[in-house]
Amino acid sequence: MAVEAQVPYQEAIEVHHPHSWVTKYWFSQDHKVIAIQYGITAIGVGLVALVLSALMRLQLGFPDTFDFIDPEAYYQFITMHGMIMVIYLLTALLLGGFGNYLIPLMCGARDMVFPFVNMISYHVYFLSVIVLLASYFVPGGPTGAGWTLYPPQAILEGTPGVDWGILTMLGSLAIFIVAFTMGGLNYVTTILQARTRGMTLMRMPLSVWGIFIATVLGLLAFPALFVSAIMMLLDKTIGTSFFMPAISSMGETLDYSGGSPLLFQHLFWFFGHPEVYIVALPAFGIVSDLISTHARKNIFGYRMMVWAIVAIGVLSFIVWAHHMYVSGMHPWFGFFFATTTLIIAVPTAIKVYNWTLTLWRANIHLTVPMLFAIAFVITFVMGGITGLFLGNVIVDVPLSDTYFVVAHFHMVMGVSPILVIFGAIYHWYPKMTGKMLNDTLGHIHFWVTFLGTYIIYYPMHYLGFVGVPRRYFANGEMAIIDSSVEMLNQTITVAALIVGIFQAVFIWNLIYSYFRGKDSGHNPWKATTLEWQTPETPPRHGNWEDKKLPTVHRWAYDYSVPGEEDDFVPQTVPQKAVQAEPQSAT
Amino acid sequence: MTTAIILLIVVLGSVLFNMLSPWWFTEIASNWGNIDFAVFVTFWICGVAFVLVGLFMVYAIWKYRRRDGQRAAYEPENKRLEWWLTIVTTVGVVGMLAPGLVVWEEYVDVPDEATQLEVVGQQWNWSYRLPGEDGLLGAADARRITADNPFGLDSEDPTSHDDVLIAQATLHLPIDRPVKVLLRSKDVLHDFYVPEFRAKMDAVPGMISYFWFTPTKAGTYEVLCAELCGVGHHTMRGTVVVNEKEDYEAWLSSQQTFGDTLARPAGDVAAGQAAYVVCAACHGAQAEGNVALNAPKLTGQSAWYLRRQIAAYKQGLRGTHEDDEFGRQMAPMVATLFDQTAVENVIAYIHSLPDTPAPATVSGDAARGQALYRGCVVCHRADGSGSHGTLAPRLAGMTDWYMAQQLHNFQAGIRGHLMEDTLGRQMVLMSKQLHGDEAIDDVVAYINTL
Amino acid sequence: MAEATGWRNLQVVDDWAADVEVFRGVPWGKAMMWIFLLSDTFIFTCFLTAYMTVRMTTAEPWPNPSEVFALEAFGVPVPLLLIAIMTFILITSSGTMAMAVNMGYRRRRGPAALLMVITALLGASFVGMQAFEWTKLITDEGVRPWGNPMGAPQFGSTFFMITGFHGLHVSAGVVYLAVVAWRVWRGRYEKQGYDIVEITGLYWHFVDLVWVFIFAFFYLW
Repeated sequence: MAVEAQVPYQEAIEVHHPHSWVTKYWFSQDHKVIAIQYGITAIGVGLVALVLSALMRLQLGFPDTFDFIDPEAYYQFITMHGMIMVIYLLTALLLGGFGNYLIPLMCGARDMVFPFVNMISYHVYFLSVIVLLASYFVPGGPTGAGWTLYPPQAILEGTPGVDWGILTMLGSLAIFIVAFTMGGLNYVTTILQARTRGMTLMRMPLSVWGIFIATVLGLLAFPALFVSAIMMLLDKTIGTSFFMPAISSMGETLDYSGGSPLLFQHLFWFFGHPEVYIVALPAFGIVSDLISTHARKNIFGYRMMVWAIVAIGVLSFIVWAHHMYVSGMHPWFGFFFATTTLIIAVPTAIKVYNWTLTLWRANIHLTVPMLFAIAFVITFVMGGITGLFLGNVIVDVPLSDTYFVVAHFHMVMGVSPILVIFGAIYHWYPKMTGKMLNDTLGHIHFWVTFLGTYIIYYPMHYLGFVGVPRRYFANGEMAIIDSSVEMLNQTITVAALIVGIFQAVFIWNLIYSYFRGKDSGHNPWKATTLEWQTPETPPRHGNWEDKKLPTVHRWAYDYSVPGEEDDFVPQTVPQKAVQAEPQSAT
Repeated sequence: MTTAIILLIVVLGSVLFNMLSPWWFTEIASNWGNIDFAVFVTFWICGVAFVLVGLFMVYAIWKYRRRDGQRAAYEPENKRLEWWLTIVTTVGVVGMLAPGLVVWEEYVDVPDEATQLEVVGQQWNWSYRLPGEDGLLGAADARRITADNPFGLDSEDPTSHDDVLIAQATLHLPIDRPVKVLLRSKDVLHDFYVPEFRAKMDAVPGMISYFWFTPTKAGTYEVLCAELCGVGHHTMRGTVVVNEKEDYEAWLSSQQTFGDTLARPAGDVAAGQAAYVVCAACHGAQAEGNVALNAPKLTGQSAWYLRRQIAAYKQGLRGTHEDDEFGRQMAPMVATLFDQTAVENVIAYIHSLPDTPAPATVSGDAARGQALYRGCVVCHRADGSGSHGTLAPRLAGMTDWYMAQQLHNFQAGIRGHLMEDTLGRQMVLMSKQLHGDEAIDDVVAYINTL
Repeated sequence: MAEATGWRNLQVVDDWAADVEVFRGVPWGKAMMWIFLLSDTFIFTCFLTAYMTVRMTTAEPWPNPSEVFALEAFGVPVPLLLIAIMTFILITSSGTMAMAVNMGYRRRRGPAALLMVITALLGASFVGMQAFEWTKLITDEGVRPWGNPMGAPQFGSTFFMITGFHGLHVSAGVVYLAVVAWRVWRGRYEKQGYDIVEITGLYWHFVDLVWVFIFAFFYLW
């Protein structure tokens, strides 16, 4: 049978062993090295975006103070911050970083199915980052069109970076999509076709499920961005009119005619909404594993969790126009998209319940990863319910384009996934390096980050209730606000600066612990999943023993099984004769 | 333990913050109380869910914190519980969605008696058009837009002639009469947003979008742009004044129609010369300006700008602030131009005078000024020639001390202090990017080099 | 095994949840190609949706395709003549590709390589005719991406963009076919088997299929 044939084939694969420093650390085909390359690059570029956000906050908290922040610079900060955070940090880190690291280890594979393509994927990603950052060195600087890059504005005078910045931005996105496609094909194929014996889909850890569905979403959603980027490039460079109707700009009539600005918005959000879940689903998956491991209890309702991920993934393709309720599209769409959007709340809520129910009757170890996981749930619930406001079409009308939206999406797809990423790094750092991260520094980092971000974004919703519009360089005299709003803005700015500065603690911890950290051993958290059962830590190239892949006998959540001595049973341990496996893994 | 307490504080603190917060919706001034009701329903369902989930987590974290000898329960799933939770959630979601969709249906469905109002967005101003007596708006096309036809109307189209054009950002509306707002944009996306009305919609170039509302409370409200439209986005303001019927009729009758602008008299230079005698005393015989008398140069300035400033003095948008000494001198002078013909005549005469660049009197660091001018360039153009498209006057070759003085006035709130003076307020926001007198001198020095 | 309940009864779920691989016996490369093609389908779908949208929103009349794409044959303009030939060639190439796959699985590498080369040549001639068509449109009809004398500027922009993107796919396919044919000929796949021919074939059939849609939307609408 083919199944029988395949595993020995995998076991016999000769991994391409590196011989020099360059092939080991730079052009490596080892998924773990590629993962760390993705991680470091993403965190690096993310720090740039963090600085940009601090500059924006300075302007908002203390307007008319800084000479170097004018509207052009401000809108450039906004655009670069948004784009970097969403695409080049979150997408790259969760899929390129954690996807690469965890998929082969958790599925019991030697590597990705096409390691060479995987290696190229990283270097193309790196190129896209270079092109993106080059924006700051081209004449006119980066584009200031906002991360949504809405035409006509994005390619017309009156927007910063209209000559070069928009070209580097669109070019960089196109390159990123190529990189993502190469990586994504690998992830999906590896999960589908290269799992080890016994690792059925319904035994996979939820991290892998989340990354899997997110990657599928990416492969189907990024094409829309790719196509709209090409069309906008053509509009900008050779004067086609895809997105450009007849326009009188700055008193001059332009040569465009007949295009549709709304077409771009549809294409963009057909990508943009699944993109939210491309970021969220891996975070959902990872946080499930963190909670289960550190609560020493199986994840509650595993099958429900899997199907919720799948359902969210499918639904995410038919909700995109909820970003466009007041865009001028035909209002009848509002009925359909409000309904689909609120339906998506049901599987999402189920996930939240299951996380909290996992804590019920558990034995909760409040380790640093667990703290981040708990903080994620709180933050995500806040971000999720405010999403219901914005998804419910009529409620969106007064709130859209106000600070309520800013607060909502930062809670739900900014802070939430970042908290998971931090938790995941604290959790898997021992596997990546063999060293534990420092606990005290971890606690400091956690509390400042969690409480700080909550103080930044929770009150921001109320600015939105007041009606303060977003993307304003300065409010100036505005009829609806008084000095209390200014005070609130200053408070938020101060909190943001503190949170920003304290990220240095995290970076320091990463470096310090690498050299001085405690040795972790193979399985410091006493976890069940395969990556903790490798013969070496950090795992070698090829992950497992020569000619022998692990065999999986049970699902990934056998914690505190009655009758077992330890409170965890690794997936590689055979079932006892009569021991009934949980239904979910039959 | 500590963790549970801090989390409890976070959850209860959020509730407390909500109760004590001074920040909430502005008082509603339209018929959309139902939107507020939908927000209210959503708020309570979501708020209760947040508190319940939060408190449950806090309790679990406290109760099941790690203890020696404690072992977690083994419970992979609980079908009954999961079904119950699904059903309860679905009920909650339907409870929010159903009223929401009903109100949306109202929002989409414009009442038959609603009168039309066209709102036109452009970088970075609002203007408005009313259909006139025939109740029809004439055809408009962005390609027909010129300095004299800012709405891009078709003079051949008979329905356009009675259209009332409000080429400034202050609009009046009668109270308690439903309005169907038709949105159009000349250039990029904008969004007509009056927080007190709750309703909003994007204006998209190349198409017409709509929404409707009924103003229910007399007063003056600020219009904001809620869709990023370029570097001047935050300065794109307007004003809506909701009047009682009589006041509204009075205002309406004073507005110009498209037909009026087509029939605008060509200025008579000779008659203008006679009227200009009053102006010449300060502005000089050649309209070259006079620093000693605080009178700026007028030649070389475009007709639409001169027309607008004369109107601004007449309407009291300028020359009314008590610290605006010279503006207050100007206001009675303008009154001598008692009708539109007189205004056109005097403008025609000014345009017949030779345009020689004003001498430089302000000194500053032009190189630094060039960098600062980056903030001005989009509207006033790279060569300082101004643009009717952005409603920005010419700067190059005009009197420099006057520009410096006006920048000071903008910064000090002496000019642009009235809510209706949206263009003045725009300059207030822009001028605040120049920090200190030196910066003003520098940017003016740079303008002198253009 | 515990008793299966509810949706677990569905055979397909059990199949998909099998260990090791979801698609049994499917080589990695083939699975990856299928997924790639799925992703590529979305690219073309977006292009064609965009085309339909601008065709509906544009303010000016759409040029009549049967006139614009007509070709003079023996002194009479025949609508869509060239396109008919191009379509015929591409569909024929799918046939030769299918035969190549068949030969591959029979391990007859000579005929397999030959048929792949024929496929590649047919593909190359398709691209050649497309170049001819573009030249005719640009020089004779005055069609440009930013405008044309017949009406809506989107006619030229969508046409050049979408057929160009498809042409790139065909060109890439020709190179891909040539490389694989060479390797097949050299006997490189004797040991691991000839799945690679089928994988190449998948790509080629996909490119063909996309053409059918482009043909229908651009020339027949």
